[in-house]
Amino acid sequence: MFRQLLRTATPLAHRQAAIATKRTSIVPQSLMRYYSASGLTKDDVTTRIVDVIKAYDKSLAAKPISLESTYNKDLGLDSLDTVELIVAIEEEFEIEIPDKVADELKNVGETVDYIVSNPDAN
Amino acid sequence: MLKNTRTNGLLKTSYRVFGLQNVHPLKFYSSSAAATAVKKIADNISLETHTDIQAAAREQAEERSSAGNDSASNGVGGFTAPNALKHAYQENTGFGTRPIYLDMQATTPTDPRVLDTMLKFYTGLYGNPHSNTHAYGWETNKEIETAREHVAKLINADPKEIVFTSGATESNNMVVKGIARFYKKTKNHIITTRTEHKCVLEAARAMINEGFEVTFLNVNEDGLIDLEDLKKNIRPETCLISVMAVNNEIGVMQPIKEIGEICRKNKIFFHTDAAQAYGKVPLDVDKMNIDLMSISSHKIYGPKGIGALYVRRRPRVRLDPLLSGGGQERGLRSGTLAPPLVAGFGEAARLMKQEYDADVAHITRLSKKLMDNLLALEHTTLNGSSKHRYPGCVNVSFAYVEGESLLMALRDIALSSGSACTSASLEPSYVLHALGKDDALAHSSIRFGIGRFTTEDEVDYVIKAIVERVKYLRELSPLWEMVQEGIDLNSIKWSGH
Amino acid sequence: MSAAPSRGQVLNLYKQFIKNANQFNNYNFKEYFLRRSRESFRANSKIQDPVELAKVYRDAQFDLAVLKRQSIISQLYTFDKLVVEPVAEK
Repeated sequence: MFRQLLRTATPLAHRQAAIATKRTSIVPQSLMRYYSASGLTKDDVTTRIVDVIKAYDKSLAAKPISLESTYNKDLGLDSLDTVELIVAIEEEFEIEIPDKVADELKNVGETVDYIVSNPDAN
Repeated sequence: MLKNTRTNGLLKTSYRVFGLQNVHPLKFYSSSAAATAVKKIADNISLETHTDIQAAAREQAEERSSAGNDSASNGVGGFTAPNALKHAYQENTGFGTRPIYLDMQATTPTDPRVLDTMLKFYTGLYGNPHSNTHAYGWETNKEIETAREHVAKLINADPKEIVFTSGATESNNMVVKGIARFYKKTKNHIITTRTEHKCVLEAARAMINEGFEVTFLNVNEDGLIDLEDLKKNIRPETCLISVMAVNNEIGVMQPIKEIGEICRKNKIFFHTDAAQAYGKVPLDVDKMNIDLMSISSHKIYGPKGIGALYVRRRPRVRLDPLLSGGGQERGLRSGTLAPPLVAGFGEAARLMKQEYDADVAHITRLSKKLMDNLLALEHTTLNGSSKHRYPGCVNVSFAYVEGESLLMALRDIALSSGSACTSASLEPSYVLHALGKDDALAHSSIRFGIGRFTTEDEVDYVIKAIVERVKYLRELSPLWEMVQEGIDLNSIKWSGH
Repeated sequence: MSAAPSRGQVLNLYKQFIKNANQFNNYNFKEYFLRRSRESFRANSKIQDPVELAKVYRDAQFDLAVLKRQSIISQLYTFDKLVVEPVAEK
């Protein structure tokens, strides 16, 4: 969006934009990460996800939630609810879960495993 | 390389201007969604507007106490401000400080979708809509006409019947003065009501100076006019009947359809001030025989500074314009239109139609919750008809509590004890007087305005705060003590001033 | 006429509505757009007619663009938090 803005602006801005774009493409992905997954333990992630679920749907606050709890059957969330929950989890761990992956996350345990394996999560 | 660092530095400087100094420029470009990038930088932008309600309240309290102890003479427990204030400012740790906005009859927040429509008029679409020699004029004019359609559609009018004005006050003045002046050779009588907005009352009074006679209809204790009374007051010289659709202070809805029928039968122009009704209650100019209607944009989440007047074309309604000039808006309102405001108003009207069902359901639900809980308090009454009303306006009297002290104790909620236009004075509301309420009760009433953006959490907070503080203020009131002891207050002879 | 959207496309659109609504700094706007997104997606989930579905989907994409721009603006001009809003510990 800003790239487009700059492009249509002065020639100077043009040059800056070109440089910036170029630099983005040559910096290896790994250098842009400031955190790694190493700090997150499975227990830690589980607690945080359960908290997010309970904060998302107050009616689930008293329910026991385990790694085996499925979003649909056990927690009673429909597809739209699940999308919202995924967004809440994304915000909690400051990551973006691709749609393809999110579609496969059917229960709490699978979500925990994904977060733990995601080096961007923090 | 050198060039690189330099330009990079330049980039950094330019971000700094926007207060984004801690952001690595690369991050800005690497993010796929601009929104995610903004989310991260937003933390570094300094707070634009800081509302220090405590300082503001202290200032106001000082101003009031130095203005004299007027309120003590009301006999409602004297001026309890110091205690009340202390009570209202118990530190609410963990929460923000900005008050909840519950004054939707004064004005409404601008809908972000409205702002989105307006912004392009401040960035690219700056042509004068009346310039018909070039594309800049045409493109703006096209947007104006689209807005006009949206505004008309909501009341089943023809776009040609909509005249843009600066707001409902101008529209009301235009009608009362314009119709009267146009027909002054044959007619000299105007009918309106006692509970109209100040601008209708004042415009009507101004016409008395021009030789007109004005009948101000009384309202019953529900705030409604009596149709028989209206019929009785009609004369052959009556040129205009002006009755507001929804009252701004008590939210009462007049029987517009019935009034329209009477007007049509007697061939008298019917004007309704629909500033509080437009888009919020069903209005149809044909079904209701409305000849003129005043509309305001900022009561429907649109921009301030714009409104409209509906002027019927068939049968034609003629009026003298207030402004002379280039003859824009069918010659009724000269002057260049403000395209950003017009387009914003149009979008606001479109949204009122699109969101009608959702808004009504939401507002009715919250209003019911608020009313049920407040009226559960003893010696608390709803002002105005409980049946014929717009649910988004709830006016409640809390006996034995002075409204102003209650408002002072409720700095965390933005409320009004009357209309914003008259609340500058400490005079009790003339609308509540017209309903037959006495001074003390009129002084102890508060208006709650619920809108599209009000949340259930806010309503819950307000209920809790009001109930708590009404009880608290009553504890301080000697009158309340007497009531509790069973003394009939009317039997007491006050030593007066 | 565009084709009716797939289930995945609708869910992705919903995700974007929720994400952008969440980013409003203004409490009332944020709550409103979250509420309306939920209500309208749920109501529209009953639509069967592919032509109507395609239209609703197209309109929603237009609304999403508005939401994206306005959620950014809401973050550029900020105000104190309301008395009902918990202030995040910093």
